[in-house]
Amino acid sequence: MWTRGLIRSIIAGSRSPLGRAVLLSAYYLAIIAALIVMYGKGDFSSTGFVYQGF
Amino acid sequence: MNRLPHIFAAFAALLATAAGAFAYTFYARHTEYKYVHAVAAQDHSEISRGIAVERAALEQPDLLLIYGASELVLLETEYEATRFFSSYPTGFMVFNAATKGGSSLTVAQRLAALGPELHGRRVIFALGPAIMTMAPFGDVAQRHYEGNFSELHALELAFSPRLSLETKRLVARRMLDFPETLAPSPFLVFTIRQLEQPSLPGTLLHFASWPLGRLQLAILHLQDHYAAVEYIHHLSAAEVAITREPRTVDWQALTKEAELEQMENTDSNPFGVDDSQWPKIKELFIAPAAYGTRDLDFINDVTIAREWNDLRLALSVIRELGADAIIMSSPMNVPLWETIGVSEDAQNTYYELLHSVVDPYDIPVLDGKEWGRIPFFSMDLASHASRKGWIYVDQRLDQIYHRRLP
Repeated sequence: MWTRGLIRSIIAGSRSPLGRAVLLSAYYLAIIAALIVMYGKGDFSSTGFVYQGF
Repeated sequence: MNRLPHIFAAFAALLATAAGAFAYTFYARHTEYKYVHAVAAQDHSEISRGIAVERAALEQPDLLLIYGASELVLLETEYEATRFFSSYPTGFMVFNAATKGGSSLTVAQRLAALGPELHGRRVIFALGPAIMTMAPFGDVAQRHYEGNFSELHALELAFSPRLSLETKRLVARRMLDFPETLAPSPFLVFTIRQLEQPSLPGTLLHFASWPLGRLQLAILHLQDHYAAVEYIHHLSAAEVAITREPRTVDWQALTKEAELEQMENTDSNPFGVDDSQWPKIKELFIAPAAYGTRDLDFINDVTIAREWNDLRLALSVIRELGADAIIMSSPMNVPLWETIGVSEDAQNTYYELLHSVVDPYDIPVLDGKEWGRIPFFSMDLASHASRKGWIYVDQRLDQIYHRRLP
């Protein structure tokens, strides 16, 4: 299974200081990416008010 | 526990995010510049509260930007400037940034958001007498202001290094008259409140919040770029294709053609009001008033209109940013106002006040007064351009672009 392979690679990687730093960076990057996906989209369209004129 | 790896990792992640944001901005700008003419030819109200594409438009020598209100966007007709100039008949196209419900206060913020890019660029500020003559206290309607309000525009104004503190303070004071627009963003509320206060602590707090303001703006700009790129990606191949077909425009023939078309659209009433607008105002004409009987009320309404002060704010922004702006007014619909009891002399109060407000800023103003008695020029009391009116407006825009006016 690919998930087991991934977990094994992560565990193996975390044993070296460089691997741990890379994994931690990826972890923080994933958090930032998730925040951007959840809250990052702005709305710049004119809101749906009904223009009634004068 | 050693926290150092976490700090390094967090820093690396932030650095990678910043690099990604930088790269995306570069890509977005490239896309906006490439397709800005296609956007100009479309209804781009989906991104009208951003500024990314407008900034790209400002740098195109063959685009003429128009800011303003519904006078120039209400009627959907082939003679409307965006459509009329979409095939470059006389060598340029119009980027119509006017919005329904727009006002001088909205335009002040939109122009401020463009910042230094506005310097030396020719833009049209199209305004009309509707708010001054018809709105309660001559003030922009709350729902219209809210519909056009943009946090990006407001923050750009608040943290603009090019605008004087006095101008920003006066605009901030007006923005506080519409607290619902600020409420969703506590930081914006804080910024505007500090800016509005003439006290030393208020000013110091405003400057202390400057870095946070620029950070918030950086995020909003990224969102704006994303919205613009998304909008562009949804344009079809046909919409993206721009054709340039230079031709000699026979303005007189077009005017006659548009007048016939307009007449066909006014058969619901004897006053020349467009069929689409007649149901909204027909009560005013049930018992037409005698000539001049409503002059005093009209003169009072137009004199006390709050929109004049908002116009001063917009003009201050234009002057401080060094824009090559031209104020282009729609005319009073003279015969129609006379029918409801306002004489032409009284109606001229609008033009007198317009000049008394604009002239001190040394900004050219084309007041449109000469159009006031042209039959079927305006399609209602609020001076929305009719099909025929649009031909006159198009001709004027052509003269302005080619520097034959003012």
